[in-house]
This record gives sequence, C-alpha cells and structure tokens, in this order.
Amino acid sequence: MTEPTITGTASPAPPDPGGTRRASEAAVPLGVVAAVLVAIVLVYAVGQRSNELVTQSVVTGLLLGGVYALVSVGLTLIFGVLGIVNFAQGAMLTLAMYLVYEMTTSGGIPVYVATLLAVPVMFLFGVVVQAALLNKLTLAGSHEGPLLVTLGLSLLIINVLLMIFGGRPLRVPGSVDGSIDIFGAVASYERLIAFGGALLVSAALLLFLRRTSFGMSIRAVSANSEGAALVGVDVRRIYALTFGIGAACVAVAGGLMAPFLSLTPTVGEQFTILAFVIVVLGGLGSVTGALLGGLIIGLVQTVGALYFPGTGSLILVFAVFVLVLFFRPEGIIKAAS
Amino acid sequence: MKKLPLAVVGLLGTVAMSAALSACGGYEPADDEVVIGSVHPLTGALAGQGEMMHEGAQLAVADLNAAGGIESLDGDRLVLRDGDSKGTADAGQIEAQRLVSEGAVALIGTYQSDVTANVSAVAERNRVPLVIDVAVDDVILEQGYEHTFRIQPNASNMGRGGAVALAELSAANGKPVKTVSYLHIEGAFGQSVYDAFTEEAEKQGIEVVSEVTYPATNFTDATTQVREALAAKPDVVAVTGYYPDSLLIAQAIRALGGDVDAVYGVANGGFDDSAFPADSGPAGADLLSANYHYAATDDRAQDIRARFEAEYGRTMETSAMLAYQAVVVIARGLEETGSKDPEELRDAIAELEIDDPLLEFGGPIAFDETGENENASVTVMQIRDGRVEQVFPDEFKTADIVYPVGR
Repeated sequence: MTEPTITGTASPAPPDPGGTRRASEAAVPLGVVAAVLVAIVLVYAVGQRSNELVTQSVVTGLLLGGVYALVSVGLTLIFGVLGIVNFAQGAMLTLAMYLVYEMTTSGGIPVYVATLLAVPVMFLFGVVVQAALLNKLTLAGSHEGPLLVTLGLSLLIINVLLMIFGGRPLRVPGSVDGSIDIFGAVASYERLIAFGGALLVSAALLLFLRRTSFGMSIRAVSANSEGAALVGVDVRRIYALTFGIGAACVAVAGGLMAPFLSLTPTVGEQFTILAFVIVVLGGLGSVTGALLGGLIIGLVQTVGALYFPGTGSLILVFAVFVLVLFFRPEGIIKAAS
Repeated sequence: MKKLPLAVVGLLGTVAMSAALSACGGYEPADDEVVIGSVHPLTGALAGQGEMMHEGAQLAVADLNAAGGIESLDGDRLVLRDGDSKGTADAGQIEAQRLVSEGAVALIGTYQSDVTANVSAVAERNRVPLVIDVAVDDVILEQGYEHTFRIQPNASNMGRGGAVALAELSAANGKPVKTVSYLHIEGAFGQSVYDAFTEEAEKQGIEVVSEVTYPATNFTDATTQVREALAAKPDVVAVTGYYPDSLLIAQAIRALGGDVDAVYGVANGGFDDSAFPADSGPAGADLLSANYHYAATDDRAQDIRARFEAEYGRTMETSAMLAYQAVVVIARGLEETGSKDPEELRDAIAELEIDDPLLEFGGPIAFDETGENENASVTVMQIRDGRVEQVFPDEFKTADIVYPVGR
C-alpha cells in the first residue's frame, strides 16, 4: 500500500513504491478485506439464504459500492488537500446529472459522450467555486466558513435546478440496454459500466497524484501549504484545481449513474451522507480508502438487506461506521500524520 | 473562530428578516373575494408533484371565476393562496396556520400523509374545513376530526380494492391468481396498503407468499429485493411505492426475467404516471396498476387535462386532477351555503353530493361521518403500447386488458 494519502500536516508523501509505511499500517486494509471475505463466506455457509440470492446481493453491492466510491473519492480529495467538508458534493453530483440530461435530450449526444463532456464543465465549475468563493476562507484557515458556503451552494444548486427543470422525475434516454449473468447474478450493462468507470477514474487519480509533478504539488500543498508556497508552489491555484478535480469526479459519477436513476433536484443528496461515512471509514484524505470504503458500504447495504430489510440495511451501515470509529478512529487507511 | 458567529448572525438575520417580511406581507382579502389556502410541497424532493397540484388548483379557480364566481355569494371571486410545506410536517403546519390567519375559509392539500395529519389538526383547531386532495394514510381521519374531508380512497380502501380487482380480473381472464409476492416501501404508506391488501387477498383465496420491504431513502438498486420476491415463484408481483423506486423495481424484474403472470401496482405512485411508459421502456410494457385515477372516460376531465397541458406545458397527472376536484368541492360547498363562514361551509361540504366527479369513482363524491368519500374506489390501469390505459372494471375501460402478461 504505497498510495499517497493526501491528508496530513507534517510528513511528506511516501517517496517510492514499497516505501516507508509501516507493515502494521499496510496490514489493516488487507485485514479489512479478509474480514469482509470471511463475512461473505459465512453468509453463504450459515446465512440460511439461497446461494443465488447471496450472490446477487454481493454483485449488486459491489457494483453499487463502486459508484459510492467515485462520489467519495472527490470528497476525500477535497478534504485531504483543502480541509473543506464539502456539503455541496451531492448537489454537484445532481448538477452533473442534469448537465448530462440536457446534453442527451436537447443535444442528442449519447450519454457516455455527454459524461465525458460534462467532466471539463464540472471541473471549471469547481475551479470557479473554489477561486471565487472559498479560497479566501480556506487560506485564512477557517473550517466553518467553507462548510457554510458549501451548504449554501448546495441549496442554491438544488433550487436553481428545481426552477429550471421542475421537480418531476426525469430520465436520461438511450444508453446500453440489457444485462449479463455473473455466477447466476444479474448485472445490467449500465451498472457494470458505472463500476468499471469508477475503478478506472480512481486508478487514474491515484496515478496522477503519484506520478505527475502536478500531483506532487497537490501532495506538497496537502502536507504543508506554507512550505509548498515557499518553494514556489501557487497554493491558491492548487486549491482551485483540486476542487475542480473533486468536481470532475462527481461529473463522472453523475454521468455514469444517470442512465439508471430518476433525476430529481434532490437525487444527489442521498449520496452526501453515505459519502461522508465512506470517506471517514476509508480514512480521511485517502483515495484508496474511499474506494475500499465505498465497496464495503455497498456490500454492507445490500447483503445486510437480506437480513435487515428496508431501513435496517442503512442502520447496519451506520452501525459498522460507529464500530470502525470506535476501534479505529483514523479509518481503514490511516492518513499520514 | 470569528467567522462562525458572524455567519450564524447573518443566517439568523436572514431568517428573521424573511419571517418579518412574510408576517408584514399578510394577505387582506377584499370583500368580493373568497380565499382558499393550498398547502403543497413546492420546494424539496417532492416539489414537482406539489407544483403540479398547485397548478391543478389554480386552473380550477380560474375556471370557476371565468364561469362567474360563486353565484350564491353574488359572484364573489375565488382566490387561491399558496403555502409551501417544503415536504415537512411542521412547515406544512405553519403554512396552514398562516393561510387561515390570512383569511382562508378552507384549505386543500397536501400530497403527504404526515404533513396532512398536521394540517388537519390546524384545520380542526381553527374550525376551517380541509379537503384532502392526496394523502392516503387511514389514521388522518381516525382522529374524530369534524373538519377534514378526503376525496381519494384511503390506504386500506386501495389495498382492499386492489386485492378484489386482482382476484376478479385474473379469474375473468381464465388464470386466477393463487400466490402474490409483495414489494413495498417502508413506512405508513407501504405498510398500510400491504396490510389491507393481504387481509382482503386471503378472503379472495390469494396467498401473499412473500413480503419484501425497501427503504424510502438511499434506494438506488432493486435487484436483490426483486430477486427475493421472485424466489417464492409467485403468480404475480405486487408493488407499492413511489415513482423512482417503482421504476427501479420494474427494470429489475425485466433484467431478472421474472416469470410471472403480471406485475401489479397497488396504490403505486409510478406505474400509472403518464411519464412512466417512456421512462421504463420495455420494462414498463403491460404493467398493471390499481389506483385512483382521473376519469379518462369523462369528456369534462379530458377537457381539463387538455387545457392544463396548454396552460402549463405538461401532462396533468391524477394528483393535479384531485387538487382541481378539491377546489370544486369547496366551491360547491360555498354555492350551497351562500356564506363565507368556515363553520357553515364545513356543514355544507359534509352534506354535498357531487354527481359528476372528475375521478373514476363508482359513484358520486359524498362524505361519510368520518369525512371519507364513501364512493372512492380504485380503477386498474395497464401500460399498453406506451400509454396508460384504464382496463378494469369494464365500465371504465379505455383499452382491453392483456392478462396473463407472460413475463
């Protein structure tokens, strides 16, 4: 596990693959994965549910978790580098979905092409929001200022969308119809594409942070913004671009989810709370942690629903969350500190 | 830490100011006006529905005024004042109170059961009649309230009616239903419809072999739940829920290739929505839905729908027709009593008999002593060739039923 966790104030990011992280820290994510696997095996063995149903819930959970992860990756990046608790993440996701909707219905652009087009638009949106609204507060070290601003931004986005599109559920037309069989479980192409896209974007983001000089600057600012400024890094610019990347992540998530969700101005809101849970569970500021956390929460929710139907599965999600916080408050992947 | 107090002060200031503004802006009805208060979710997750229902009520007011206002009140005009429940019970209650204090002689609303429960308490306390357009929960009218009236069938009425209709239509088509798997949303709505359906189904010789519930929030994939419902190999899958979740369920049933005679909505908020056939595509084909419905066989209802679409640029769903109907109920009450006194209006509404309902009911709108419309009933719809058609009972038929559907 040599992934550069983004949060942190003191130490710089690990220099090399196979670097300095202590073995015990690296063991935790592996332990968590093993625990999840054991839990799934137990469900199969003594869960008293048909294997078919369990397989379906595992497949569904993983596919769902991938998308959760994508929403969370942007959130964790923004928190890791800027220290901003971005309450507008869900609303930005909705905004991206409506963008894709507009392009597909008015422009006749295929939904996945529209998603690609939405990425730069949302990136710019994020950059502008950070540069115009948040930079001053972030640089002043305020935590509650950005929090209130993003909360306000979220309300603004939702109500503007409501004004323009009305609140009736809308549907993004024409994507890939059909589904395939995975070990007896059914998975629709749309959801598989969303899952694949989520993994791809997370991997690309990790590579970007680790291998590019720009990624290095982001990590440097995250580790020590004053020090980075002293060596010539434009901190304001990094802040703006990082928020932009966070917004671009939800653009991908929104576009990939748009084919199978009904669009309402509040559709993204339900992801905000889960994304926070995932980000804290995974370890604040860790991209790998967000990915892992997303998959785990997806699994807990759907496999849990076999035994705790309805809201019970959500209660289970929060129970897992509280347990993790109790035994490992820093999350699965501990941020460098 | 300076920023927080400042921001909080700013926030509080804004709230206080808007409260003050709304207090100052209180409405003073003119002598020749009769004010009706309309409480619906105009913002929040249900804003789309709320807005459309408010427009339905607006159209009714415009129609009635164009026809000369309330004759027995010397042609006094109706005025519709809106209140935004924001989808929450306490906001709805505050808005209802405001509308009453601004001179509303009657209220309509609210689309949600919990909001309606609070608004009906306000109506009772202020002795102002409330005509419920949409709100399904039985409990609202079990409080012994004297000022609340409901046009649509309540939850248990729809659950029962749904079960009876399913037994009858399946028998009539030579394939009587024996077993049903039931998927429903959690909460009072889903549970009460399910309970009533199950009780009546047993009397009809139908066994509900599996009950699968799903959460009202964070529900973005129905595959596991649908698989569980199909595992019992039922003849029919019944579904009670709202639009987005019903869409997910329809898609999952198609993806899983559920081999059932039919998918059957009971009081379902999605299956008979005019947008559903297009949104669901092949997954929606031939879905059945037992629900209250605008009178598709009635020319007046058709005319109202056409004018609604011309005026507001979108299709008028049944909920908006109910809002229209609620205003008509109040107007007829005013016409009967010839008084703007809410108490006398209440008595008039309690005695009303409206022979030309805009909903497909089995009789005139007339309220029993608890305030329920005693002739409210369900119609069965089916998505046929991309359109929602009425298929059962025969008297309300706009297309022939396909049964079994053979999924």
